[in-house]
Amino acid sequence: MSDMSIKNRVREHRFFSDEMTQQQLADLVGVTRQTIMAIEKGKYSPSLEVAFKIARVFGKPLDQVFEYVPLD
Amino acid sequence: MSFKEKSAWISLVSTVLIFGYYFIQLVDLNNLPENDVRQAVAYLAIKTVVLISIVEAVFHSMLAATNRKAAEMGADERDKLIALKANNYGYSVLVIGVVFGLGHMVIVEFNPQFTSESSLQIPMLKSHILLFSLIISEIVRFAGQVVLYRRGY
Repeated sequence: MSDMSIKNRVREHRFFSDEMTQQQLADLVGVTRQTIMAIEKGKYSPSLEVAFKIARVFGKPLDQVFEYVPLD
Repeated sequence: MSFKEKSAWISLVSTVLIFGYYFIQLVDLNNLPENDVRQAVAYLAIKTVVLISIVEAVFHSMLAATNRKAAEMGADERDKLIALKANNYGYSVLVIGVVFGLGHMVIVEFNPQFTSESSLQIPMLKSHILLFSLIISEIVRFAGQVVLYRRGY
């Protein structure tokens, strides 16, 4: 099985949600701004619970925000 | 820089500086007569513990006062994972130190002449091997937290 990684479109969804800031998203999800930043940069993969909370904030299904894809 | 990362920096810097001072002072105490050494070490240890308690309390209070929201929020899942990972690093160092300390005790038990021949002349050496292990493991834990925060996770 080839190597896989979790990619996300959090930054894109923030932009299309009235240019929501990282801090606003962090407050809605209940994590720190630094954690949102680490998720966006792909340095940290959130727990399922936080991933669902982020998707819920944007009103999207989970797989439109997070994807499990082969490494580039 | 997050609240928890700043907290780790405070603990790292204060531990390195204050216990660095302790160990430098400790080596100098070796020149004292044997009867005075124990009392001097006890005084130095009490002074160091009081100093680090005050420094940590003051700086962490200042940090919490200037970052009230973050202080009230506490640790999120990434903070907890970083703390767990850093604890593992520190624990590994502590185990190595304790095993080294036990090894030292066993060797000295069977070869008492090693104590006087040793070039490692530190007062109350057995206790200090354990104390060194504890302090180094704490430094590794705080440094581990800082590195993990810098890397993202």
